[in-house]
Amino acid sequence: MSQIELLEKFILQAYPLAEEEMEKFLSIWEPLTAKRKMIISRAGETERNLYFVTEGIQRVYYQDEQEREATIVFTYAPSFSGVADSFLTQTPSRFFAETLTASSFLKTSFLQLDNLMKQNHNIERMIRLLSNAAFAGVLERMIEIQCYTAEEKFKTLLKRSPQLLNLIPHKYIANYLGIDATNFSKLLAKIRIGT
Amino acid sequence: MKYITSQLLDGLYAHVEANISKAVGEWQMLENARMMAQPEPGKWSAVQCLEHLNSYGRYYLKEIEKAISKNEKSKASASFKSGWLGNYFYKIMLPQDNGIPKKKMNSPKDHQPGTQLNSAMVLNEFISQLEILGNLLTRARNIDIEHTRVPISIVPFIKLKLGDTFLFLIAHINRHMKQAERAIGSAITETSIAATDNKLVTEFL
Repeated sequence: MSQIELLEKFILQAYPLAEEEMEKFLSIWEPLTAKRKMIISRAGETERNLYFVTEGIQRVYYQDEQEREATIVFTYAPSFSGVADSFLTQTPSRFFAETLTASSFLKTSFLQLDNLMKQNHNIERMIRLLSNAAFAGVLERMIEIQCYTAEEKFKTLLKRSPQLLNLIPHKYIANYLGIDATNFSKLLAKIRIGT
Repeated sequence: MKYITSQLLDGLYAHVEANISKAVGEWQMLENARMMAQPEPGKWSAVQCLEHLNSYGRYYLKEIEKAISKNEKSKASASFKSGWLGNYFYKIMLPQDNGIPKKKMNSPKDHQPGTQLNSAMVLNEFISQLEILGNLLTRARNIDIEHTRVPISIVPFIKLKLGDTFLFLIAHINRHMKQAERAIGSAITETSIAATDNKLVTEFL
């Protein structure tokens, strides 16, 4: 399946755009590839682009003054990527987005998407529904962060994204769970024994 | 030896990617005991091989980064010619056709790994170093790798061309990754089941 077909399929699952609207929507995207560990968006800069992932794994993370990192989310095909809040509000981002494996994307600009949304009610509605889903996802993650043990968080992640375990370095998964390498290694040992 | 610069850097990058795939896709899923098993008394375990590489990486990655930053304005040239010393270091690192090194070498004291190692932490550092090395290779595409020089670790007043430094360093990594692989192969234990086994993951969930 081509990149654009993947995007079309993804959109149709979210909202049934008419053929002509879909054509308009698909016309604003261009392909982009990035090697492993390339920064896509930087904290301090406004996110001008929206990315649709067709290959590879990325993460969005926060970094404080002492260079401590907090991994907020992993993204992979088929889904959108980039720093959502900065993109939607066009204000400076507090997050970095980077590739964790070689990745392929489709990319469009805020300007192009915003113009389409102003012209076309259904496209605006489709974007709103996708934003709603993203917002629900963030609130769901709030529950995980506040109430779950590291093991429960790990199980939830594995159910949602089992492929991460042997595709990305475990330090990023440990960071997402908020635990160190040694404790992650103990969690992993539990899977091996199958308890 | 003369190389086409872009082919040289692409080839080295492919090695680094293959090494990351092995470490991420296979080694981080193995149980610690298997990574830490010595094939024979006195012979290095896989983790010791990786810690040995880490100890070089701590020096060379910093020096390569410095050299690239200092020469950011230099221009990439189409071809790269190996220096005699760089080529010598590179050649002694290369294995024979059967994958076994030609010559056994003794490591300098500073680069001999201990026996009390934390498997997960050593492997994490190793993977992080490979990620950095991959990025340095990407940055090196835009600069002159012939006239950019990196001081060697044993005698810092001797400097190698950046291209030679990459060749030698990556050959060194390949050498000890193969050694680590042999150590893991000889350490098959009853409980060594890779966690990639979907059934086990399912049971855990």
